Amino acid sequence: MVIVVATALAFDFTNGFHDTANAVATSISTRALAPRTAVVMASILNFVGAFISIEVAATVASGIVDAEIVTTTVIFAGLIGAISWNLVTWYFGLPSSSSHALIGGVVGAALAADGTRAVLVDGLIEKVMVPALVAPVIAFLAAGGAILITYRMVGRLRPGLVNRGYRLGQIASASLLSLSHGTNDAQKTMGVITLALVANGTLSGPSPEPPTWVVVSAATAIALGTYSGGWRIIRTMGSRIFKMDPAQGFAAQAGGSAVLLTASHLGFPLSTTHSITGAVLGAGAAKRLSAVRWGLAGNILVAWVLTIPAAGIVGALTYGLSAIFGDGALGPLLIAVSLLALMAAIFGKRLRRGPALTTAPADA
Amino acid sequence: MIAALDTGALRELIWAAPLAVLAVTVAWGMVVHGATRAAEASRDGRGRTAGLYAVEALAGAVMFAGAIVVGLLIMTTKS
Repeated sequence: MVIVVATALAFDFTNGFHDTANAVATSISTRALAPRTAVVMASILNFVGAFISIEVAATVASGIVDAEIVTTTVIFAGLIGAISWNLVTWYFGLPSSSSHALIGGVVGAALAADGTRAVLVDGLIEKVMVPALVAPVIAFLAAGGAILITYRMVGRLRPGLVNRGYRLGQIASASLLSLSHGTNDAQKTMGVITLALVANGTLSGPSPEPPTWVVVSAATAIALGTYSGGWRIIRTMGSRIFKMDPAQGFAAQAGGSAVLLTASHLGFPLSTTHSITGAVLGAGAAKRLSAVRWGLAGNILVAWVLTIPAAGIVGALTYGLSAIFGDGALGPLLIAVSLLALMAAIFGKRLRRGPALTTAPADA
Repeated sequence: MIAALDTGALRELIWAAPLAVLAVTVAWGMVVHGATRAAEASRDGRGRTAGLYAVEALAGAVMFAGAIVVGLLIMTTKS
């Protein structure tokens, strides 16, 4: 159980640094905020946001796989699948959904454990897939509409004053986005730990609430991850998709915030990445279609499509490897240690090459 | 089994999110437009015009603050 909780918090940490870009990339790109200031602000607001609501946590814990067949090994394997996918996409600088990675990992592990009857396909489609498909489309259209209205209102004014005004607005919208990210993503880890506690027999009941220590530890992990910053993805979101002006940055952040807040209000485990990426693309495409690097957008889309199956395959393999060692802690422990060693090797290799992955780039 | 898709909530997501974006966009647009025009009018010595644009900026700021408060209320009051 301790290994599962630690792995869940490790996932939460990767979720934080993987999704830092969602909250701060546009603000950094338009120079509304200095890179380090932006990640400090985002990490504090993610921490605060994690305490605001637990509605999404309840959704994650109850609707994706049959709770009766879920064991701590299934949860562990699912988390390993999610962490692996987060690290792969981070390495390539691609924004992808940590939520989908988590769901994919758990589904893959559940399939390996008990076959197709373990997965609540209706729940997967109705509670996760449909909202996740709808979110980027709404965000794309809303942000596109927002930038057209913005240019209509201020397009003939002096650019200097207008840009200064929208940089100021971006600080507010980035803050709101960070807060709403905390209300959504930290709660997914809370939901998974709660699910593990139920599987372990520590919690019971039809709708168990996450204990306070779960809420605090999940909030801390995502805040620390956010503070670490995922600069590669920040660069992709902030300047590689298209070079945005402050008004576009504001429109993208406002669009992403509105979709996420509405979804959070409704209890959908919505992907922050899908929403904000959709909004960024919408803000760029509405001004000029050719301004957007559609090849890169296509790569991001491929990563989105692959997220659930790839994390699922790793989750299933992890479950299979773990099961070789029986139901005890030996299998998860060996896998966790192996993963840590692999991560240390990758980090060490990259750090010897240069600081590209772990520090704020000068042009971010 | 799980509950069926809450189509009402999904419909609400589809109309409420763009509406919220529209409100925030117009509100901050009023702030930027009003403040910029007010600064230009003030520099040109058109005091009354500057005052009117300042009122526009103020109204936008109030709307924007209101939108943020609504967002915070949504986060803090969901059950």
